[in-house]
Amino acid sequence: EFRFGSCRVEGVVLPELWEAFQAMKHTVQAQDNVTSVRLLKQEVLQNVSDTESCYLIHALLKFYLNTVFKNYHKKIVEFKILKSFSTLANNFLAIMSKLQPSQENETFSISESAHRRFLLFRGAFKQLDIEAALTKAFGEVDILLTWMEKFYQL
Amino acid sequence: DTAAFLPAPQNLSVHSTNMKHLLTWSPVILPGETVYYFVEYQGEYESLYMSHIWIPSSWCSPTEGPECDVTDDITATVPYNLRVSATLGSQSSAWSTLKHPFNRNSTILTPPRMEVTKDGFHLVIEVEDLGPQFEFLVAYWRREPGAKEHIKEVRSGGSPVLLETMQPGVTYCVRAQTRVKAIRRYSAFSQVECVEVQGESLPL
Amino acid sequence: HITEDSPKLLQHVKFHSSNFENILTWESGPDGTPDTVYSVEYKTYGEREWLAKMGCQRITRKSCNLTMETGNLTELYYARITAIDPGGRSATKMTDRFSSLQHTTIKPPDVTCVPRVRSIQMIIHPIPIPIHAGDGHQLTLEEIFHDLFYRLELRVNHTYQMHLGGKQREYEFFGLTPDTEYLGTIMILVPTWSKESSPYVCGVKTLSDRTWT
Repeated sequence: EFRFGSCRVEGVVLPELWEAFQAMKHTVQAQDNVTSVRLLKQEVLQNVSDTESCYLIHALLKFYLNTVFKNYHKKIVEFKILKSFSTLANNFLAIMSKLQPSQENETFSISESAHRRFLLFRGAFKQLDIEAALTKAFGEVDILLTWMEKFYQL
Repeated sequence: DTAAFLPAPQNLSVHSTNMKHLLTWSPVILPGETVYYFVEYQGEYESLYMSHIWIPSSWCSPTEGPECDVTDDITATVPYNLRVSATLGSQSSAWSTLKHPFNRNSTILTPPRMEVTKDGFHLVIEVEDLGPQFEFLVAYWRREPGAKEHIKEVRSGGSPVLLETMQPGVTYCVRAQTRVKAIRRYSAFSQVECVEVQGESLPL
Repeated sequence: HITEDSPKLLQHVKFHSSNFENILTWESGPDGTPDTVYSVEYKTYGEREWLAKMGCQRITRKSCNLTMETGNLTELYYARITAIDPGGRSATKMTDRFSSLQHTTIKPPDVTCVPRVRSIQMIIHPIPIPIHAGDGHQLTLEEIFHDLFYRLELRVNHTYQMHLGGKQREYEFFGLTPDTEYLGTIMILVPTWSKESSPYVCGVKTLSDRTWT
């Protein structure tokens, strides 16, 4: 299960997500020629406190589901990786639907910190042309999964 | 022309036991003709974000029988829509969609079949192999007042595992249950099986 | 004068990683000759500059150790090779994006199997890896993979085996028969990364029971 601070998520097996992404990784990352830009930089993911992690993962997964996956889908069909994509997208949805970041006042500053990290990521995304940004963001799912692994227990 | 109107398959339903999910439907019967079926699925993501997207099933695009093992298609613990269409030559029926979406967390978990044996003074168990998603919790104890129950996690079935070195003249009992991480559920415990070993006590 | 016109000088440029030792390898292409020389560069994903790897400039061998240069576990890397043949023709090829956390394989553990009369002890030795923590100490696999555990099996006879497992490094199989051959296999598993080492195998015979002689 995942434990992002007080947010607990059961019913998702991380190795299954890895397996799904590994089946797409070479195809997708080979399309990303901008090797000098990384969207999920260290400043976005490093030294994230447990409490902050629930806000950050919620924002990132929401962005991936609503923006990246949705708009990159034509390429997914073109590359014939629909099944693996479906596994990844539905498991991300399963995680996000179980995250309930607390909305209390005392955690406002923490959620703000998480939001700044997310804006760093989204800002870098918006600086690229949309096709390049979608390709790069999708290709960086392994960076996201590597970070999520810290909060995972089999 | 019998194929002018090809009826859509009816009575779709999913039977799921131990994380094996079987979609079944009533066959479309046209005398003297072989009807094939195409099965497609969409997870909650597809139905929410791109409802026009349906994915061909891994094993049933097409298939001849009125059933389809969709286990390899259901790869997340979210509701899945499933649909079936009949085809005959170039004719295809309308799609028939499962009335209620299927979620794998509704699978029926049965107590595992197991074989408890002894080899010399060794108490050995072999649990049935139910696939990579299954682990087993094995409980064993000495049948005597106040005996403590020991628990051993067996990560995969299908091969014999030694539980304990037994004392002669003592009866040892065993029961087991399955555990599926992907849906965070356990089966009921199996029937208890007991064995006893005769003979001299082991030199310590 | 170097011309970039001969992609067939070079092929199969990739990283091989085992216990975080990262080796770049490549092969000569169909147009390659023994006198072709190769120069290696590497970069961190997200950075602009390519850096030349000292010791792998204008070499004729087809491998280069980039362990130190690709040792930050939170970074991903690229490497690229430029091949130049005696005729001045050249080719440059780049690796896929490389992450040692994802790509490294786990070597078999280092184990000492100690036979006794009615038991066999197994001691697993720590394996230092070429990754250093912030404070400079050399990390072990357990420190990197928090769900790493050991699985030990002792084949008792042809029908079944005994199982032990866990995170500690010392184990003992009890209840054995004196003066008998046993086969032990010990593996390292990292479930969340689906990594599994090949087994260390030790054939060992329990000691004879001299208590009644």
